[in-house]
Amino acid sequence: MSTTLTPAKIPPSQHEFADVIHRLEAGGSMLPDTPENLMQIIGIYKAYAVPMDFYWRDLLYIAERVFLDPFPAFKYFLPQEYLDLHNHYAGDDADLRIWRGEATAHPELLAFMEKGETFKGSKLFHHLWHDRINMEFAEACMRAMLWHQGMGGRFYDYLEDPEYIANADRAIKAYFKGNPLMLGLYKLFPNMFYEKVRELSYYANLGLFWEVMAPVFFEMSDIYDEGGFKGVPDAMQFLVNGIFAIAGRPIYHHVYIRGECYEIIPKSKGFTWLYEAALPYVEAVFYRTAPFRGTKSYNAQAQQVPAEQKDFHYGILYADVFPVGSAGIPPTLLMQDMLHFLPQYLIDYYQKYCRGEDDILIQLGITFQRSMYNVTSAVIQALRTALLYPLDDPNPKHLMKNRQFFEMQMDRFKRPEARLRDIQNQEYR
Amino acid sequence: MLTALILVPIIGAILIGFLPTPEGSNLPRKAALAIAIGLFFYSFWLLTQLDLSQSGVQFTEYLTWAKPIGLNYTLGVDGLALPLVVLNGLLTWVAIYSTREKIHRPRLYYSLVLLVNAGVTGAFVAQNLLLFILFYELELIPVYFLIAIWGGAKSQYAATKFLLYTAVSGILILAAFLGIAWLCGASSFDLATISTEDLSQKSQLILLSLLLVGFGIKIPLVPLHTWQPDAYVESAPSVAILLGGILAKLGVYGLLRFGLELFPETWHLVSPGLAITGSVTVIYGALSAIAQKDIKRMVAYSSIGHMGYILVAAAASTELSVLGGVAQAISHGLILALLFELVGIVEDKVGTRELDVLNGLMNPVRGLPLVSALLITAGMASAGIPGLVGFAAEFLVFQGSFSIFPICTLLCIFASGLTAVYFVILLNRTCFGKLDNKLAYYPRVVRSEQIPALVLTAIIMVLGIHPTWLVRWIEPTTDAIAQSFHKPKIVAISQPNLIASFGSDLDR
Repeated sequence: MSTTLTPAKIPPSQHEFADVIHRLEAGGSMLPDTPENLMQIIGIYKAYAVPMDFYWRDLLYIAERVFLDPFPAFKYFLPQEYLDLHNHYAGDDADLRIWRGEATAHPELLAFMEKGETFKGSKLFHHLWHDRINMEFAEACMRAMLWHQGMGGRFYDYLEDPEYIANADRAIKAYFKGNPLMLGLYKLFPNMFYEKVRELSYYANLGLFWEVMAPVFFEMSDIYDEGGFKGVPDAMQFLVNGIFAIAGRPIYHHVYIRGECYEIIPKSKGFTWLYEAALPYVEAVFYRTAPFRGTKSYNAQAQQVPAEQKDFHYGILYADVFPVGSAGIPPTLLMQDMLHFLPQYLIDYYQKYCRGEDDILIQLGITFQRSMYNVTSAVIQALRTALLYPLDDPNPKHLMKNRQFFEMQMDRFKRPEARLRDIQNQEYR
Repeated sequence: MLTALILVPIIGAILIGFLPTPEGSNLPRKAALAIAIGLFFYSFWLLTQLDLSQSGVQFTEYLTWAKPIGLNYTLGVDGLALPLVVLNGLLTWVAIYSTREKIHRPRLYYSLVLLVNAGVTGAFVAQNLLLFILFYELELIPVYFLIAIWGGAKSQYAATKFLLYTAVSGILILAAFLGIAWLCGASSFDLATISTEDLSQKSQLILLSLLLVGFGIKIPLVPLHTWQPDAYVESAPSVAILLGGILAKLGVYGLLRFGLELFPETWHLVSPGLAITGSVTVIYGALSAIAQKDIKRMVAYSSIGHMGYILVAAAASTELSVLGGVAQAISHGLILALLFELVGIVEDKVGTRELDVLNGLMNPVRGLPLVSALLITAGMASAGIPGLVGFAAEFLVFQGSFSIFPICTLLCIFASGLTAVYFVILLNRTCFGKLDNKLAYYPRVVRSEQIPALVLTAIIMVLGIHPTWLVRWIEPTTDAIAQSFHKPKIVAISQPNLIASFGSDLDR
């Protein structure tokens, strides 16, 4: 256990989550530091990273190549070019080598794409049978980012900028060159096309975000397998270090039309990974999102849905994972995707509890929830590092500022739907 | 042939009682299951051998037993008795199968279940009044022990209440039978030798009243029903299946066989009162079910309501209504057994039957999705949704009774709407909604636990889609019963007049 005790320079917190706050002040995570938790979160990071390797490639493929195809029936049919696309954070030619593995698509992903759960068959069969990586979850995350927008950063503002509109206009006209019907529609309803391009810019944004996260999770899994992590705080610290190492990675949106690159959001705009992708992603997907179809019956007129978007609380940190398994719910699809790539030690672990294999989707969903509390802890610690003071700062006033920051973050988990209370208990499965 | 249906379970019960049961042995259960399944298939085979061109008693067996008192071993079945015997075989198998494997005192338990089967079958096939009462009383003792030993917290109270009520029922029926034989001057208690035609109407009225109260307790009818909710709720689910699915049908059988057949004219005289009692029972059962917070108690009250339909049908005594009444008895047996089976699984897995606690069982992974789906099917069948056996039976009852007792029939139709109300309440609270994350760590329902419910559901659906397979066995006998009435003597009494006449009676 690498967690150190808080120096008693400030009085104990009186917050409802005082224990968690003290743990954060000691450099720990919101998730209790137990070997069981460590094993669960690392196992699920690995299982998440493999489909994520598909998600980021396909998100970029849709943003860059499918673009405004009016009938994008085959947008989930990833071409070989994108499977071979080199991840910038893995492989020998990496910009920054986070994972020691290959830069191309992960071997387990390729094996699954070929055979699926059933048998080796045509891509169309696997697609229609849903025996595939479910991009629907990735698109739900993208839409959450698009819809919530306005969560800080400059990316969202830029999507309304005349420069962006001019860039989009060039790309739209090039894409529909020789198609009078679509060009006519564009003339009649230009805003509809711009809005679609804005959505595609968020495809690119999320794709570039996950391009980083996949090798981070693969590397964490490898380090754990080698006996590298001693506890949950170590895993969290790895994430914090990763966040700072990649914070400046550019976020852009390029479109390739007939061999020519159209820079809708050029790299030169200076949008960076931490502020324009990572933080909005955590806010939109971990905290807010929207009630997923089928998981919650809500009535906006009865004020069951918050009036303000910032008060939405349907993300994974609040999610009721138990309805997972219902058809068509995006989290179900994610759990299904992760199920295919669980490490054996996690499968063995799930077999021992609850209904074993029968409710493995929910068990791994709750593990995923635990792991995302750890990722959120890393983000909170990273923000504290960037904006406030070191945890071992000798000045009690600075420590009190840190305390206030942590308490403010924990306030968001006071509402009854938050699972922070649940994950403190190992029996929450 | 019929003797086998009685002797095999009795001998089986005795043998199981002496079986060696080393630790962990399932031998008594396996033996009881084998006997029950054998009895079911044998009775079903007999059903296929039934000559449908005849309405009378078939497969008769006769043995002089105690001639001086008129007790003979006279057995026989017709379209009224044999389908109920088959139902008895099926539900005995279901009850045994759905009993938890690690039950305490297994030898005694399975022996008693087989004795109940033998007693009920004996009562259905007995063609001698004393023999009937002998079997009728025979099942009383094992059922008492089944409730008292393997029941819930108040099982002693419920068992004693059941015993007292049913003993009174037996005494009244015995008194009626003795009166019938003595007043008619019959040489024996054999049903075939008894004719009540020469009895005065007053005597007939007294004897029929005794039978009505006696069998009314067994069914049970309002206001003789108070033993039933306690007995059903405090019993283990498997025993509740026997109680509601089969034992209550003894009351229905007795009413039709001894009330309707022996006293047709007097039956017509009291039929308006019976129809009113039936419709009050139906409405009372439905409204009481709506008020319940315990799903087992809700099912128990729903059972009371559904038995009321049979009384209305029997009171109308048209060909269609009597046919519908018997079909309803069988349909009710199947549906109630399914409901108790499912409620038992829910209680076993979730640990409660409280509507306020249960929620979200339809959850596909952590809930009990198949059990919930079957519960919905059972609720639909009970509410008379087309395509399920409940609809076929209730439709026959309504269609057959409407011309004779239109208002009572309309009340029954209204009550079938109330059935939908309480089942929607039950299903909405139990199956739908959000699964409570703090509680929802229920063990899974394994396939073997689902088999009885799946079998019952399949039968309910098949007979609902093709009700001919249900009514074809019953129809010749019920047609004969209905035709035996002297139609010209039937005086159609309009409901307002009837109520007015009852009112004036009360005034007096």
